Amino acid sequence: MMPIYLKSLYRVILGLLPIISLLMIWQLFSDGPSPHFPAPSYWLMALEQLWKNGQIQFAIKETFWIFGIGLILSTTLGFSLGIIIGVNRKFREWTTYSFESFRAIPPPVVIPIAVLLMGYSDSMKIVVIVFATIWPILLNVVSSIDNMHSGLVDMGKALHLSQKQLIFKVVIPSVIPNAIIGIRVTIPLAIVITLLTEMLTGSNGLGGIMIAGQRNYNSSQVYGVLVIVGILGLFINLASNYLEKYFTKSWPPKQQL
Amino acid sequence: MTFVKNSSLSFRGIAGVFLFLFFWEILIRFLIQFDNLPAPSAILFSWFDLLTLKQYWEEIAHTLFAAMLGWTVASFAGIFLGLLLGLSKTFYKYTSTSIEVMRPWPGVAFAPIGLLLFGFSLKMELLVIILPALWPVLVNTMGGIVNIPKSLYEVVASLRLTNFAKIYKVFIPSAKASILVGLRISLSLSIIMAVVAEMIGSPNGIGYAIIREQQAMKPTNMFAYIFTIALINVFINYLLSKIVDRLSPGKPTSRLNQKVLVQ
Repeated sequence: MMPIYLKSLYRVILGLLPIISLLMIWQLFSDGPSPHFPAPSYWLMALEQLWKNGQIQFAIKETFWIFGIGLILSTTLGFSLGIIIGVNRKFREWTTYSFESFRAIPPPVVIPIAVLLMGYSDSMKIVVIVFATIWPILLNVVSSIDNMHSGLVDMGKALHLSQKQLIFKVVIPSVIPNAIIGIRVTIPLAIVITLLTEMLTGSNGLGGIMIAGQRNYNSSQVYGVLVIVGILGLFINLASNYLEKYFTKSWPPKQQL
Repeated sequence: MTFVKNSSLSFRGIAGVFLFLFFWEILIRFLIQFDNLPAPSAILFSWFDLLTLKQYWEEIAHTLFAAMLGWTVASFAGIFLGLLLGLSKTFYKYTSTSIEVMRPWPGVAFAPIGLLLFGFSLKMELLVIILPALWPVLVNTMGGIVNIPKSLYEVVASLRLTNFAKIYKVFIPSAKASILVGLRISLSLSIIMAVVAEMIGSPNGIGYAIIREQQAMKPTNMFAYIFTIALINVFINYLLSKIVDRLSPGKPTSRLNQKVLVQ
């Protein structure tokens, strides 16, 4: 009998076979540094050179920095706005269609607006990410306040909780699982928007390096960075899956007896 | 999933939009001078001008055509692969991890590759649309097939259907609701990715027009194009949700919208 981790490793490797064999065929049949399909070994060489320059480390740091700040800001803003809109009926009535129309704007086209208003700066990139990714969290919070069990609010009222207590002790804890689902949705979106902003503004981030490689017809560099982007995306996805499982499983907190 | 529970028009909501526009107008006209943030009325006027241009409609047609073509290809490929994955254990065994690895790959990252391979062309745009739009269809088809109740397999076996009839008459109809959700997600994704691809490198379409007007420092035109794509987005989503509701049995699917959005 194989131990369980070996078994799952075996399964992962089996599942990876198509990619591995594709890369091997590519390596065997490609004619070196072609401008369209360079062999995978050339990707590694291009990456090695970027590493020696220190370009790739800097790019990863830069991309992560913008992505992280943007995500944190949009999460906090989205969550608090969602609570305000969800709880405050009047406010919601007045702003419904305004928010609906903001949401209808495809996230990427916010970039040119931000460029015009704020120029090429880090704060511009962060504003773009926040505007593009705030909606899933906000909407999930609002709709989960709508669908809250009416007994919860009645119970709070029966206990004579003040408005503030009702929000902090009843509403917020009950919307947290849904808010986490919203965050889970925004993470891939935030990655896409970060890369796109970098491509359009030609920064030193990962997107910027890719576009620079394409402009110089340095195809191995483009493929190499594409692999790095894929690996980073995979890890961020795995981490957010794990976080989601962790939070939704351990929420609401078990009562200590 | 919307802010309003009942879908009837809310007077206050509309008033809110007009108030917002009014304050924007006042702010720009009287309080601060922003060179690059035009007043809503100025945007409206240049939008009217654009409406008379032939080029404007051609750009809309180009974007819609690219999005639809990409969506069709992605849908067929996604349904086909999803069926294979859902029905064949061996195929699943040998490809599942590869798919899990490929799925979180951000679609924009393929734009430079597309530029390298195809240059500034429709093909590059299609590559950037199809790759991300494939996954929602694929995953939802697979999920729909996997969740078919066991008893249906017994029915199929006892009816002695051919393989084709099995898939066409039993499996696809019973996974229909889930497949439709995937198709819908991937259509809105296709439109967005079409605009993205045009922004990075296709000398045609709305995305390119937005960037062109931005670089030409014509913010009124840029905003007009942005509102155009937003309107198209709303209209297509509305149309599709109507179609999906008509096609799918049981409760309206609009509630399934939760796990939507861009990858």
